[in-house]
Amino acid sequence: MFRIALKGILGRKARLVLTSLAVILGTAFLSGTAVFSATLNRTFDNLFSDVFRNIDAYVRSTQVIEADFGAEERQRLPQELIAMIEEVPGVADVQGDIQAFARIVGKDGKPLGSEGAGPPTFGSVGEDFKGALWTISDGKFPESSTEVALDEASAKAGKFVVGDKVKVVAQAGSREFTLVGIASYGDVRSPGGATFALFDLATAQEFLAKPGFVDDILISGDGSVSDEDLAKAINAAIPSSFNTETLTGAEITKETQDQIGSALSFFGILLSTFSYIALGVGSFVIYNVFSISAAQRQRENALLRAIGASKKQVTRAMLIESVVVGLFGSIIGLFAGIGLSKALSSLLKAAGIDLPSGGLVVPSSAVVNTIVVGLIVTVTSAWLPARRAGRVPPLAAMRETAIEVVALTRRRTIFGLVLIAIGAASIVAVTNGASNTWLGFGILFVFSGTITLGPVIARPVALLLGRPAETLRGVTGTMARQNSARNPKRTSRTASPVLIGVALVTAVAALAASIRTQIDGVFTEQFKGDYAINTNARGFGGLSPSLADDINALPEVERATGFGLLTVKIEDKGQYLTTINPATVEGVFDIGLTSGKYSDLTPETIFVSQKYADNNNAKLGDSIAVTLVDAQVKTLTIAGIYEFDDLAGKYTVSRDLVKDSTVISFDLGVYIKVKAGVSDAAARSALQAAVDKYGQGTLLSKREYIDLQSGQINQLLGLIYGLLFLSVIIAVVGIIITLLLSVFERQREIGLLRAVGMTKSQVRTTVRWESVITSLLGAVVGIVLGVGLGWVIVYALRDQGLSSFSVPVGSTVSILIMAFIVGVLAAVYPAWRATRVNLLSAITTA
Amino acid sequence: MNNPSAATALNVSKIYGHGDSEVRALDDVSVHFETGKFTAIMGPSGSGKSTLMHCMAGLDEMTSGSVTIADTDIASLSDKELTKLRRDKIGFVFQSFNLVPTLTADENIRLPLLLGNNKGNEEWIQKVISTVHLQDRLSHRPSELSGGQQQRVAVARALASEPAIIFADEPTGNLDSTTGTEILTFMRKAVDDLGQTIVMVTHDPVSASYADRIVFLKDGKIAGELLKPTPELVLDYMKKLGH
Repeated sequence: MFRIALKGILGRKARLVLTSLAVILGTAFLSGTAVFSATLNRTFDNLFSDVFRNIDAYVRSTQVIEADFGAEERQRLPQELIAMIEEVPGVADVQGDIQAFARIVGKDGKPLGSEGAGPPTFGSVGEDFKGALWTISDGKFPESSTEVALDEASAKAGKFVVGDKVKVVAQAGSREFTLVGIASYGDVRSPGGATFALFDLATAQEFLAKPGFVDDILISGDGSVSDEDLAKAINAAIPSSFNTETLTGAEITKETQDQIGSALSFFGILLSTFSYIALGVGSFVIYNVFSISAAQRQRENALLRAIGASKKQVTRAMLIESVVVGLFGSIIGLFAGIGLSKALSSLLKAAGIDLPSGGLVVPSSAVVNTIVVGLIVTVTSAWLPARRAGRVPPLAAMRETAIEVVALTRRRTIFGLVLIAIGAASIVAVTNGASNTWLGFGILFVFSGTITLGPVIARPVALLLGRPAETLRGVTGTMARQNSARNPKRTSRTASPVLIGVALVTAVAALAASIRTQIDGVFTEQFKGDYAINTNARGFGGLSPSLADDINALPEVERATGFGLLTVKIEDKGQYLTTINPATVEGVFDIGLTSGKYSDLTPETIFVSQKYADNNNAKLGDSIAVTLVDAQVKTLTIAGIYEFDDLAGKYTVSRDLVKDSTVISFDLGVYIKVKAGVSDAAARSALQAAVDKYGQGTLLSKREYIDLQSGQINQLLGLIYGLLFLSVIIAVVGIIITLLLSVFERQREIGLLRAVGMTKSQVRTTVRWESVITSLLGAVVGIVLGVGLGWVIVYALRDQGLSSFSVPVGSTVSILIMAFIVGVLAAVYPAWRATRVNLLSAITTA
Repeated sequence: MNNPSAATALNVSKIYGHGDSEVRALDDVSVHFETGKFTAIMGPSGSGKSTLMHCMAGLDEMTSGSVTIADTDIASLSDKELTKLRRDKIGFVFQSFNLVPTLTADENIRLPLLLGNNKGNEEWIQKVISTVHLQDRLSHRPSELSGGQQQRVAVARALASEPAIIFADEPTGNLDSTTGTEILTFMRKAVDDLGQTIVMVTHDPVSASYADRIVFLKDGKIAGELLKPTPELVLDYMKKLGH
């Protein structure tokens, strides 16, 4: 039987290729994402071991606030520690280091790097130091308060050469420096696409951070003692009142690598989630191909049965075939995936993220995983068709035509309906107070139920969708319509991958539309100004607080107010405080104060949201202990309660809270109301001039600003669409394969039609419309499910402040148009093949 | 020979392969089929009778010679024109698999007209349908029809577009003798009552005896002709030819 199976496979190479195609695509994404993640990981590992190569010890504060999203803020160190460390025996060289926000302004007046979306923009210390992170490739390190060095990538992007004047924006404002050097970071022109402006220590402290303080201290040893002993000695030399810790070079390398590693692992998980979705979609295609090929080989299998092969042997032959296909497909998929990961790397490079060069890393786990998963998926998908193949009666060998038996059982209908009912019931239960986890359960059941019902609904829905084809195309349309409905099981299996892809895309679009509507509503309600200056430097740098003051002084401006974020610790947990200027906030930025007045907000008081007050039984006059990044503890009295917490969050304080500390406060935005009667042009030119002075931030009208805020979701949307695109490709390939096999199966019919006068273009039309109907079938059912799924997700997020659900009408229309185009494109090759059907052999073979 | 010719083949040859492996399926065959007559083509397996029919119907390309159907020289036609010629001027009845399974009997009958976006002559179509007794079967699909009914639908389809000529390839080959007789009777009626032209390929003397004229083929060449045949005459003639 094994030899028969092998002969069967080799005898039909085309079928082997088609069947393998689905396996290849699914596994290629799997191996591609694994190889890409591993390569990225090692790239960064190498980068940091390279960067910290000459660092033997590292001193930093133990005071750290960890906030959401992995952000952390560490207290700065006083500069006097540097002199202390220099005295420690075994220390060769010490450098105080600063990494803070700084933005390089290009020659065209626009900041380098994309605001918000791109990698961060840093200012740091670049000094000649034995263990320097930076090496100068042209010129020298900066030595005075008027000199700057840039990373190679930024210098190239901004077309700066040594000797040029470079404008840099940082916490202390905007200044012009002379470019004296161009530096590289380890082996790369810039680490991960971030931009760097490098200064001498004194300038960095004053311009980027706080005079007298550094972020951390880098130490290079003279080699007389081990790194461990050096670290111990340094630790012993610093009084414990400074709250510092000393790490060896190896430790800080490892820690940095691990941090990057965990950030990357999130990315890796995201990628592999979508490649598993793609593989799941692919399993439908594999299942479909095996079913069709089993049906087409019905006579062959019946013959085998007639001459004495057992059911088991026929089934086994087909399973052997699936093992061969699975192995063949997975191995090709593995290599295709390695190519794919290369493509992903070049894509990142094209997007401006410069990764250190280095060979691809193909972890053995990726190899094993790809092949094992590919094999399991293939054999599992082939299982049912193989069993069905074994059950073919020997008598079928005598039958004239082999057409897949289509029996739609009542059992299937009932089973599908029960699944959907259970799913719907769990979703209803959640709306009546059950836990959100039941939503996932409900979704799973509704999806499974719909796919189970697929063959039952495929026929009526395909016939309905095919009606326009019939009206438009006459008898060719009729045939396309009937062909798409003639084997509902096959049609529904072909449409299922489209369905899943479309459902996910629709759900994401619905979620995005809801978030957009929500954001739009929030800003319309709370932003009362006419203009806004926006920066997207979330949590890292931002606008200088003096920008808002400058604007307030403009004669065109009625009032302008800035707001920012502050990371603090409250009850040992990292929290964000919104900072406002109580003197200017009223009438421009509305937080919906229900008790207290803005003038009550002083460096000794705090406002909290109504929700916070309700949840914590807090009332006016209560106090909250807030630990700033520099370890200062401030006890603030609640002086007001506000209703709108969408932008302001739980806590709002005055921006003067951190005035006398080492903590830097930036504004994330400035809201502006202009005086009545000031024209748009006059207002814009005055405001733009103020913004230009700082070289940072974008001036936007109210509408532009709101659109920008609600448009931010589009980036996320783009990423998810990109990843779901993998599934769409597989779905398209599935349609192509099914159509090809159907065309092959209907050779005689096509031959007959050609004989009685169907032109080649009519043959193509028939195949094309069948494809379009199948694709639309998947899309329509997918949209219905997707809108439902979107609603469920939005509902699940109701506690995160998402209160309204919007149906993504625009996206739905585009999906339908896309599905139509996909149907047309998928049909191109099968339709061409259909016109190549040999007319004579089709009508003469008995 | 007083009737005009519906189809004419002139010096038609069909050669498969090259050199030593060359096979002459048709060797310089010239024949013409009169309008309004029922002609049978007979011959043993491999005599070229089906190949002749395929070449004349524009289903297969000939190596040399010319074929004229309804005053059109088919050698000069493109694939598209040839397809249109088959659709508008030629009717087909095959041995099996004659109908499109997804279309109803009515749609199958009108198929060539529908493909040409042509309404056709409704009066004629109704006449054809009643001649083959299919009035109450029109909305059925082929799978719901018996073999005989399916062949009747095929005959009706061949007639529906009032073609210049109908080619039938062993139309009763898959039917029992009663049903076969029924189909042959319909074909005879189509010629006598409806004035159609039919060319039928067969190897069965009884079927052939329904024709007005029989053309015998052997080894790719015309081996003889028989007018107003009866089964006995046909058998005798076949013996004479050494079948």
